Amino acid sequence: MKKLPSCRRFALALLLLSLPALATAQEKKPLRWGTDPTGGAPYIYRDKTGEYTGFEFELAEYLAEKLDRKSVLVEGDWANLPQQLKKPADVENGVDIILNGYELRKDLAAKYGVTRPYYVYRLTLMASKESDTTTWDDLPGKSVGVLGGSAAHRYVKKRYGRTVDLKTNPDVANVMKLVNDRRMDATVQDSPAATYFLSEYGGLKGVGEPVQAGDLPGYYVIYYRKSDVELGKALDGALSAGLRDGTFKKIYSQKKYDLWNADQEALLPTLDKPWPPENLPAEESPWPDLIEELLLSAGMTVFLAVTSFPLAMAIGLTVALGRVYGVRLVSIPLGIYVEVIRGTPLLLQLFFLYYVIPEMLLNTERDWFIWLAKEISPLRAGILGLAINYSAYEAENYRAGLLAIPKGQMEAALALGMSRRTAIRRVVVPQAWRIVIPPVTNDFIALFKDTAACSILFVTELTRKYNELFNFNRDLVIELAFLTAGLYLAMSYPLALLARRLERRLAGGKGGHP
Amino acid sequence: MISVTNLTKFHGSQRVLNGVSLTVNRGEVTALVGPSGGGKSTLLRCINGLETFQSGGVEVAGNKLAGGPTHDSRVLQKLRLSVGMVFQQFHLFPHMSVLDNVMSGPLYALKQKRGEAEATARKLLDRVGLKEKADARPANLSGGQQQRVAIARTLAVKPLAVLFDEPTSALDPQMAKEVLAVMRDLAADGQTMIVVTHDMDFAERATVVHLMQAGEIVKSGPPAEILKEHR
Ligand SMILES: Nc1ncnc2c1ncn2[C@@H]1O[C@H](COP(=O)(O)OP(=O)(O)OP(=O)(O)O)[C@@H](O)[C@H]1O
Ligand SMILES: [Mg+2]
Repeated sequence: MKKLPSCRRFALALLLLSLPALATAQEKKPLRWGTDPTGGAPYIYRDKTGEYTGFEFELAEYLAEKLDRKSVLVEGDWANLPQQLKKPADVENGVDIILNGYELRKDLAAKYGVTRPYYVYRLTLMASKESDTTTWDDLPGKSVGVLGGSAAHRYVKKRYGRTVDLKTNPDVANVMKLVNDRRMDATVQDSPAATYFLSEYGGLKGVGEPVQAGDLPGYYVIYYRKSDVELGKALDGALSAGLRDGTFKKIYSQKKYDLWNADQEALLPTLDKPWPPENLPAEESPWPDLIEELLLSAGMTVFLAVTSFPLAMAIGLTVALGRVYGVRLVSIPLGIYVEVIRGTPLLLQLFFLYYVIPEMLLNTERDWFIWLAKEISPLRAGILGLAINYSAYEAENYRAGLLAIPKGQMEAALALGMSRRTAIRRVVVPQAWRIVIPPVTNDFIALFKDTAACSILFVTELTRKYNELFNFNRDLVIELAFLTAGLYLAMSYPLALLARRLERRLAGGKGGHP
Repeated sequence: MISVTNLTKFHGSQRVLNGVSLTVNRGEVTALVGPSGGGKSTLLRCINGLETFQSGGVEVAGNKLAGGPTHDSRVLQKLRLSVGMVFQQFHLFPHMSVLDNVMSGPLYALKQKRGEAEATARKLLDRVGLKEKADARPANLSGGQQQRVAIARTLAVKPLAVLFDEPTSALDPQMAKEVLAVMRDLAADGQTMIVVTHDMDFAERATVVHLMQAGEIVKSGPPAEILKEHR
């Protein structure tokens, strides 16, 4: 008799204990998928209502449903998505899979689990409709934009070497726009992006036939952790099913993507074959090539610094003189100039110079302005941008220097009969110059490192090159990173030593004013 | 050669010069004496256009300055070539050698050729007794030597008159002597000058002495007369 209540109590306790468990069972486990939404259409992008769409987005939704998991989009930087697999999935930015136009590659397949392909892409060459580029063989001598680190990048580099002016950039849409505006000659893009943008930009044409990127067809695959064997199997199952039952065909053939073609039909027979194929072609470059490329791009870094800094100094001195000696009509606008430039980021200024201002010039539809817009090359915009940015800091240095010169110096020069202008040039500026050498040298070192910002403008300087090389040589990520950092240090440390010596000499050498 | 008429200058609401009139003839040595704050420096600075003034006029060798917020820069430059100025604090250019300091006026104000300027400069350095310091930096000279270089620098543009604003006040007596010797030598040569000074020995040899007080010239006359009473 006593037993029953206790039994009941036990069952009740059991029920209560298991309630949380039931609740978690109802809430699906997330499938965290890594993607870079800035990569854009048709992979993943926001539609007119602001909601995410794109064939990869639909694919991820499909896979999550098949696996009975909840699709969770995790944003990342495209080139660094594989690295995100190295962290646990449940941390911030952690992912279970990466699904974003990544192709089947030997180095990646060695490190990560790899699924069967969900799409077969080719490389499409595009140029302006008015351009004289009509075949792939017309490319030498032209500027060619590619997505940095992409298969297209590698293909163009391998096929054309240094005969083309290769422009790499992380943003596909930017490149398309530049080609459309005839500010860049051509671009090579994965066929899905090409198809989308050909219909988007009226000024673009496809050139020649799309080509296969390498020895094997270009397979877009999903990467996951090698340890997640079960997940891999489930994904492969879902992918095969989707291909067989026509789900993929339905997604890909939608008018907004228009991606279904014979290459995809040809995937069906491969589903019975083992995956991944044996003997994937190796892609990485030998060390001497890597070092040569790094050194060449270090040369570009030096070039950017030594061309932009003298310009920054010249503008800065002019601005400072105007602020200190100019009438208010001159000094007030210059003060505003300094504050605006110092108060906005360098990256934004570079964007303005290369994208916004040319766009505005093109919109004027005046011949002279259009000519000017086309003259704004990435390198010129980079040099000018750095120069303008640093001119504000130099102006402040010189201003402080000019104000530090005792008034008596100017008066003595004027009393000798010099004009104001001569007195400034012969007496005040040379003395101010001595005062500002140490801060100016420090700024040069800072600018040296800030040249890296030009990498967003297709200028292949050291940082851009590092990004490209580690993309193509995933096994050497660490070595390349140290090498790149070492190169920066090797270039800036002697400058720092020089700065310190100058500072010491100026401080110890001469007691200035009577 | 220099005439100041009814000069009035304010610093803010403070009347620093109150209707000052003064004439200096060629070859005269004019001494300005008087208590601190009397407006002596301000008067000199008005004469070579380092200050503007509210009303009255200044004329130096035909170059006229009038009251107002600015001076015409061409007139100013011409005027300054005819009237040099030596400051209490020397104001040598520290980034130039002694020789370059002395050459700076001929080179940058008169646009002379280097050779010509250098010859004049060396002669002047010899005259102030600093021939062998031509390559030194001002910072490595004593105060008295610096002031003598400053005098040579001023003379290098061959001014018709030289204004001295307490040229020896920043110097100890020994160095002051060296500088005063140079100035006496100049005076003996007939150099026109206006000297603000507290050195009574020097003032005693002046052609005229003006006593300035509270922005006005309260007494003018031969040294013996004025200085006796001033003491
Ligand atoms: N830049 C200025 N701003 C305001 N007041 C000034 C300025 N320069 C001079 N003053 C004032 O003008 C008056 C005359 O000064 P000034 O230097 O001409 O006198 P000084 O006779 O040369 O005196 P000292 O013998 O001390 O050199 C003083 O009361 C001084 O405070
Ligand atoms: Mg004074």
